[in-house]
Amino acid sequence: MANITFKHVVKAYDSRDKKGEKIVVVPDLNLEIYDKEFVVLVGPSGCGKSTTLRMIAGLEDVSGGELYIGDRLVNDVEPKDRDIAMVFQSYALYPHMTVYKNMAFGLELRKTPKEEIEKRVLEAARILELEPYLKRKPKELSGGQRQRVALGRAMVRNPAVFLLDEPLSNLDAKLRTEMRSQIAALHKRLQTTFVYVTHDQTEAMTMGDRIVVMKDGNIHQVDTPQNLYNQPCNMFVASFIGSPQMNFIDAKVEKDGDAYALCFEGCRVPSNKAELADYVGKEVVVGIRPEDLHAEGSFNSSCGFPIHVEMAEMMGSEIYVYFNVNGNPDGKKKIARIPSRENIHSDDDVRLLIDVNRVHVFDKETQAAICH
Amino acid sequence: MTKKKSIFDTILSIFLGILSLAWIYPVFMILFNSLKSEQHISTSSIFELPTVESFVGLDNYLNAINAKGFMTAFWYSLVITVSSLVLILICCSMCAWYITRVKSKLSNACYYLFVFSMVVPFQMLMFTLSATADRIGLSNPYNICIIYLGFGAGLAVFMFCGFMKSVPLEIEEAAMIDGCNPLQIFFLIVLPILKPTLISVGILETMWLWNDYLLPYLVLDRTKGYTTIPIFIQYFKGSYGKVEMGPMMASIMLTVLPIIIVYIFCQKYIIKGVVAGAVKG
Repeated sequence: MANITFKHVVKAYDSRDKKGEKIVVVPDLNLEIYDKEFVVLVGPSGCGKSTTLRMIAGLEDVSGGELYIGDRLVNDVEPKDRDIAMVFQSYALYPHMTVYKNMAFGLELRKTPKEEIEKRVLEAARILELEPYLKRKPKELSGGQRQRVALGRAMVRNPAVFLLDEPLSNLDAKLRTEMRSQIAALHKRLQTTFVYVTHDQTEAMTMGDRIVVMKDGNIHQVDTPQNLYNQPCNMFVASFIGSPQMNFIDAKVEKDGDAYALCFEGCRVPSNKAELADYVGKEVVVGIRPEDLHAEGSFNSSCGFPIHVEMAEMMGSEIYVYFNVNGNPDGKKKIARIPSRENIHSDDDVRLLIDVNRVHVFDKETQAAICH
Repeated sequence: MTKKKSIFDTILSIFLGILSLAWIYPVFMILFNSLKSEQHISTSSIFELPTVESFVGLDNYLNAINAKGFMTAFWYSLVITVSSLVLILICCSMCAWYITRVKSKLSNACYYLFVFSMVVPFQMLMFTLSATADRIGLSNPYNICIIYLGFGAGLAVFMFCGFMKSVPLEIEEAAMIDGCNPLQIFFLIVLPILKPTLISVGILETMWLWNDYLLPYLVLDRTKGYTTIPIFIQYFKGSYGKVEMGPMMASIMLTVLPIIIVYIFCQKYIIKGVVAGAVKG
């Protein structure tokens, strides 16, 4: 059993900010990571995701609350006694040791019999295709090979929890995709709890069983990739997950017979969501993903609005169409992902249609989701 | 432009070549004279190469080695150099590790104190030091290493800190997770990574320790026969201005030789170690 439980965990540093108050990185963290689960901590820089991971590893002290690995309270347990293994962003291989020695080092310290060490290292090397490099030093390896050695070093220990701190960010795009699938396959094979930190939402979406979205040390949403994408709990999660990010437009809720209508940019989007009852006559923010906006003629919808194309970026299979709207809560240009066969160019005047079933509505003040 | 540059390079090479010859000539001069007979060193020009008449082979070397006290002085020099060197390398690398990893006002203050100690001249404190050393029992070859640790620490800590800053903390954290305690992290991970700097600091300190004259001269209790090689060489200068030039030249050569050999074998590490902190940090 290697579930990880955070109960009101706080992380604060002794140094003080300009107001003379202690710097609190994680104010109150409550989270349950289940046994054998692949959980991804994701969020912008400085959101506390790496600190959270380092608290699990024991590399950062827990300032308050309780942190459990399995049934054991580990607040004051040394990193070596937590039965964890960690893969670092910078690989952190021992430069003076060979690949074999790097992988065997942890086992040697634990006085594992020599034959057992050899068996485990060779097995890990076989899985990670590192057999030809066992006698080499880290400086003689490529970035991808070094990362695999770091994974192997963690693997041979058979830890209860695998911690990975942005392990792919030093690799090029092609290798990153390759390693992504290798890590996912490794999780399937090892059947161990994986906690993975990244700021790359593609990595988070493709690898995680569940994703924890963090900002300013707080958890905003914990859910499956699909739910995060389709039912974000607030505007931050909606904008952080998905690339290009969700468009936000100011709208007004009006009563439309027994149902409601979201009015913006001269169009009325009908909705029968009961959650909108409290917002009649009030301003809300409508969220529309770029792929839910379509060029006129290629899609059937009663709702749409005319735009002036500020810029059109040809991406190959699709065109990113940038435009401006009147009600603009985040002040950013809006984007539509249109199939490239539509042939839209900069400075064109076109009409975009909305997929009314895929509109998200957010409270303008609290930024929380009202309905999807 | 290229032609101008090549002319400049040639002039610079010639100038540096002459400078190097001027630098190395004294060493060769001692070597040549150590092979001449006593009489020829004092009567002929000291710049003259050995001739058939003046050449005496290794006689001067044998005389120097057989001189009373030479081997004892050699032993004491060796003891002082090795013990001080080991102490400086271990203590200063540990100290630099602490200063680099523990960010506090105390560690910062320590660092600046070490750097400051490099600019304090030995002459400023030599008399009080020799009196204190005598009082607390550091005036013998086996304890003098404590004093050398103090004088050598400035440069050593400065160089170790420079390199240590370029060593990623994650390596130590990985070792911690792998199961190392702090001592194991230092001796199994940090120290091997510091190898280039250890060698360069080692060579620089060895040259200083082996050749040092003033400190052992002031501190060591010579009434008990404690001398080092640089002090012993002076003994060839007898009373009434009589100097045994042959054995003196030979003993100078014997003193310089180990250092030159060490330097030749390890010089590439000196450059690596000195530059490492500066370019990676």
